[in-house]
Amino acid sequence: MRHALPTFMLLCSCLVATGCGRTPPAYFRPNMVEATKQRLTPDQEQQVATVLLAMFGTPDEPVCLPETGLDEAKLRLAAGPVRSDIVGRKNGLYREHCAHCHGVTGDALGPTAAFLNPYPRDYRPGVFKFKSTERADKPTHADLVRLLHNGVPGTSMPSFALLPPAQVEALVEYVKYLSMRGETELALMRAFFELDDDAGGKLPETREFLVDETLTPVAEKWKAAADAQIQVPPMPADIDLVASIAKGKELFYGDKANCVKCHGVTGLGDGQANDYDDWNKAIVEVRKELSSSAEQARGASTSGMSPEELSEHRVQLAWLDKFGKVLDGDALEPRTIPPRNLRHGIYRGGRRPLDLYYRIHAGINGAPMPAAKGTVPPEDIWHIVNYIRSLPYELDGELGADKPMLARDRF
Amino acid sequence: MNRLSGIFWSLLFLAVPVLGVATFAIAPAIDVWLPKDVSTHGAAIDGLFYFILVLTGVVFVATEVMLFWFLWKYDAAKAAGPATYIHGSHALEVVWTIIPAATLLFLAIYQMNTWADVKMRRPSMAPSVEVVARQFEWRLRYPGRDGTLGTADDLFLVNDLHVPLDEDFLVQLKSMDVLHSFFLPNLRIKQDAVPGMKIPVWFKAKEAGQYDIVCAELCGWGHYKMKGRVTVESREDFDRWLESQYARQEATQPEADPSRSVAITE
Amino acid sequence: MSIASSPSTVHHEAVAQAPAPHPAGFLSTYVFSKDHKVIGLQFLFSTLVWFLIGGLLALAVRWQIAWPWSDVPVLGKLFAQEGGQMAPEFYTMLFTMHATVMIFLVIIPILAGAFGNFLIPLMIGADDMAFPTLNMLSYWFMWPAFIAFGASFFVEGGAASSGWTSYPTLSTNVASSPGSGWGQTLWLLGLTMVGVSSMLGSVNYMTTIILMRAPGMTMFRLPMTIWAMFITAVLQAFALPVLTAAGFMQLADRTLGTGFFSPEGNIVNNWMQATGGGQPLLWQHLFWFYSHPAVYIMILPAMGMVSDILTTFARKPLFGYRPMVYSIAGIAGLGFIVWGHHMFISGMNPALGITFMVSTMMIALPSAVKTFNWLGTIWGGRIQFTTAMLFALSFVSMFIIGGLSGIFMAATPVDIFIHDTYFIVAHFHYVLFAGTAMGVFAGIYYWFPKMFGRTMNEFWGKVHFFLTFLFMNGTFFTMHILGAVGFPRRLADAYHYETFHHLQPLNAFMTWCAIGMVATQIIFAANFFWSMFFGPVAGRNPWHSNTLEWTAPSPPGHGNFDFQPVVHRGPYEYSVPGVEKDHLMQTDPPNAAAAALAAAH
Repeated sequence: MRHALPTFMLLCSCLVATGCGRTPPAYFRPNMVEATKQRLTPDQEQQVATVLLAMFGTPDEPVCLPETGLDEAKLRLAAGPVRSDIVGRKNGLYREHCAHCHGVTGDALGPTAAFLNPYPRDYRPGVFKFKSTERADKPTHADLVRLLHNGVPGTSMPSFALLPPAQVEALVEYVKYLSMRGETELALMRAFFELDDDAGGKLPETREFLVDETLTPVAEKWKAAADAQIQVPPMPADIDLVASIAKGKELFYGDKANCVKCHGVTGLGDGQANDYDDWNKAIVEVRKELSSSAEQARGASTSGMSPEELSEHRVQLAWLDKFGKVLDGDALEPRTIPPRNLRHGIYRGGRRPLDLYYRIHAGINGAPMPAAKGTVPPEDIWHIVNYIRSLPYELDGELGADKPMLARDRF
Repeated sequence: MNRLSGIFWSLLFLAVPVLGVATFAIAPAIDVWLPKDVSTHGAAIDGLFYFILVLTGVVFVATEVMLFWFLWKYDAAKAAGPATYIHGSHALEVVWTIIPAATLLFLAIYQMNTWADVKMRRPSMAPSVEVVARQFEWRLRYPGRDGTLGTADDLFLVNDLHVPLDEDFLVQLKSMDVLHSFFLPNLRIKQDAVPGMKIPVWFKAKEAGQYDIVCAELCGWGHYKMKGRVTVESREDFDRWLESQYARQEATQPEADPSRSVAITE
Repeated sequence: MSIASSPSTVHHEAVAQAPAPHPAGFLSTYVFSKDHKVIGLQFLFSTLVWFLIGGLLALAVRWQIAWPWSDVPVLGKLFAQEGGQMAPEFYTMLFTMHATVMIFLVIIPILAGAFGNFLIPLMIGADDMAFPTLNMLSYWFMWPAFIAFGASFFVEGGAASSGWTSYPTLSTNVASSPGSGWGQTLWLLGLTMVGVSSMLGSVNYMTTIILMRAPGMTMFRLPMTIWAMFITAVLQAFALPVLTAAGFMQLADRTLGTGFFSPEGNIVNNWMQATGGGQPLLWQHLFWFYSHPAVYIMILPAMGMVSDILTTFARKPLFGYRPMVYSIAGIAGLGFIVWGHHMFISGMNPALGITFMVSTMMIALPSAVKTFNWLGTIWGGRIQFTTAMLFALSFVSMFIIGGLSGIFMAATPVDIFIHDTYFIVAHFHYVLFAGTAMGVFAGIYYWFPKMFGRTMNEFWGKVHFFLTFLFMNGTFFTMHILGAVGFPRRLADAYHYETFHHLQPLNAFMTWCAIGMVATQIIFAANFFWSMFFGPVAGRNPWHSNTLEWTAPSPPGHGNFDFQPVVHRGPYEYSVPGVEKDHLMQTDPPNAAAAALAAAH
């Protein structure tokens, strides 16, 4: 009885101590939306995961084949858990600065992602909006560095201007790495569809198929970006700013550029506003398709089915069920993308005249904004740029007294 | 045995003032102390801090030592006879009411001037910069060549505040979304940014260098990463910097060397 | 002062005519009991459970501060994909809920709810509260709050994460942070329910103390605990309606589209909540108009309990009974005009800041008077180092630190630098943990025999005290110097700032201390439950104390007293010269004392 109380205390402490323990290391999440869409079997999903592991490693131990052209030393600086190495250099930069939103996998499914408006970028399709290259091309290295430096004003993407340049370099390299990994994953998952019947539902595990046919094309696009920069003509020198703005305005409302369609007659972004960007559109379309096939499948009468048809029908129902669950877990509620309000003076892709030129010339990849290239002559794009830049300061014009004014500007 | 426990507990209470004073004595030596002050008004604030530190330190040590001494001396195991039967002392109550009251009142009056200097006597000048806090960054807007905010030649920057040395600097502080707080530890400045309000903040930096801008009011999940930097530099460097940033903002052609397209001011 | 000067026998008889019927059945005895002692214990157990939860939340917070973005034990499993690294919004949720739980579910209900309920009728010599049904409801209104706060952890976006101060527009705009969705709405509902509970309690306490005192128990014969509870109840009654109203306004802003606290055109995260036209500072004024008096609601009862315990174990009358009462009243009065000191740098007119600075300086005065009187009480005493006494002494010792550090913040220019840094965190933890929580521990060790009829183990009690005292100062004292560097509170990771990056080792030390502090409470929990069933049986008055509760059986039965207590003197007649025993209970007949005195001559 004398030692009963201390024994009781020890017992309590043991109870508390159990349940502690390390969490297993971070992992890359498979692209379940695509895998389910392609109706991959668990074995096939496993094969993709194994191939990706060999090609790209894990979030803690990234590897890269020479074909990617990536710098593994930089990747190592960005990868892994947040820590300082023996010389006191910061490691795990991606998980310190980016993973909360963009996710460890770069799938824009980080814990914070669902609460951001707009959602963070999903790197896996390899599509980037703000760059100095043509619409379908990848951004250059400098484009990504600039984006990290400026952030994306008007979104939750902050500026990383104060990070040391070496850290920014490492992060850009890591974003490219995640994007290549994501694109390779997509390519592999889609490759099952084109398999011959005698392949046994397995991808060939040859270097020729995996590296030369799958990885290299992805990497080449990134390497080609540097040479795909848009050639910008000098701003027309023979016209003064007021005239240029007037000309730009004409073009803005004109048929060819037709900016007014989405950005609205007021420039407030109140034109057509019910469109989606590519990332959200993909989910919207999958959902639409899914609900129509679900209707079809559930509406079908099973009475007249042969046993084969019946089992196929069951497989279809199970697949629909699974897809529904995957979408709930691995896709965010789609949101429309409103056209930009041009009178705020907030420019997501940068406020330099040059940036606006790029946007109008090449459009915005992944977004409804079309390219003016080919429809509007390069000099005229400069006039539109000048007009756009004058909009936040335009005091007269048709708007007159209707111009909305924020409360904070009145105090 | 009983007496030993009395000794032990009274010494434990003596450890409070001893270790308390020791902590504050060691802190500056291990650099866990007020960061370097580079503002002209900071000396007054730090002076007040030290003044209150000494004042409260004396009271702290006196009362805690008294507590120890009473515990030591009036331990039931040591002191013989019954406790002193007393219900209080009118004179003592008056003394220990009036002395602290006078001290506190003095302190209240003594500090008013510093407060007025930092928060009430605004220099008569146009804002040098507009700082707009936003989740989770500091968006800056310099008035440009015409010295007026809200015109087409404004210079837009983010997180990277530059300030000329030895000049009055007036910040117009706003918030775009939620509460933030503009905290410059080295300049002894802190002011909440409130949506719907324009709040003036002013200071004069007296030493060149780079210092942190911290957000000191909870502004959401990314509050910790709302970091800015203030660079204090000579007027010439400041003007040169403004010009170069403005030229960069108005660029119509990509910069020759792509790696230079990033403004790395280090 | 008519109440104070006239004996309240008349009132007492008027109210206590109908004796409360004895409860029958398990439910009405232990669950929906109207007996103040059972309700007090219900409050005690519920709040101790939340105390544990709040403490664990604090540990998770401290883990992140010491080792940001590392794998968190246990909680890391929630972030398996990130390798156990907690998300930043999760951290904001943790500290918001740590404060919310500790303030609204632990400190306020354990002081007023647990001790207030258990002690008030016993110490004034009444058989129960004035309104037993209201009393029961005041406990059961806590349950919607428990459920709302508890459930909010599991809704989308997690529990509230805009700080326990819930400043708009972070809290009013549903898109401004993950916790600003359902979590914040549940938080506001929970807060309202805590308010209802406190209000029911406060009405009850005031009525009971004014009308149901035993014959001879004048106001100035009340023990300090009761005085503190009484003034706390008055504070609650006057301040709470403001918070409740403000809470409903915020709820309306969030759900009905009003804009009390949002300026026009306020857009957060590309989401416009309301057309606006309001002011974020309005919330701060309303919130602090309640929450500053609430700070005193969270300390005054502990001050009262500590005064009683100090006198008992110093075997000496309280030094300056009336000044002590007046200073509590002074704190309560001044407490209503100092709220602006939370807002010196909020954008409030700086000229107004000066007014609040002066009133804040003045409120330090009654606290100083109380401290000097406590020192006067132990001076010349015969101190018995029981566990309860040690906790009470540490209350005094720590309250000196918490009180003095407040002067730094009251000085407006200094506040510019240390506002929202760890200096303020140190300050309020010294008042609320090193102060109130120590007072609560003292109270538990002291009144445990009355609650359960058995005493707690003294040896393990002292071990508990020693380790808590050590680890507590290791955790909180270092926060002062952290604050001197300007280390801001509420940052998930401050080490990327040049100014603060060298402070990680110090924070790691504090976290180790915090872990030790929480682990130490296992000793307390084990001792508590063990002693409840197996501790040595205590008599009616194990500490040889004077106040009325010690004349009742331990534990007191239904109706409390087995005789009608009649009060003949104040509560602190210890070591009266000429009296054989060293205490003279409030009920001891006067002729005994007179006879003793006569015999001595």
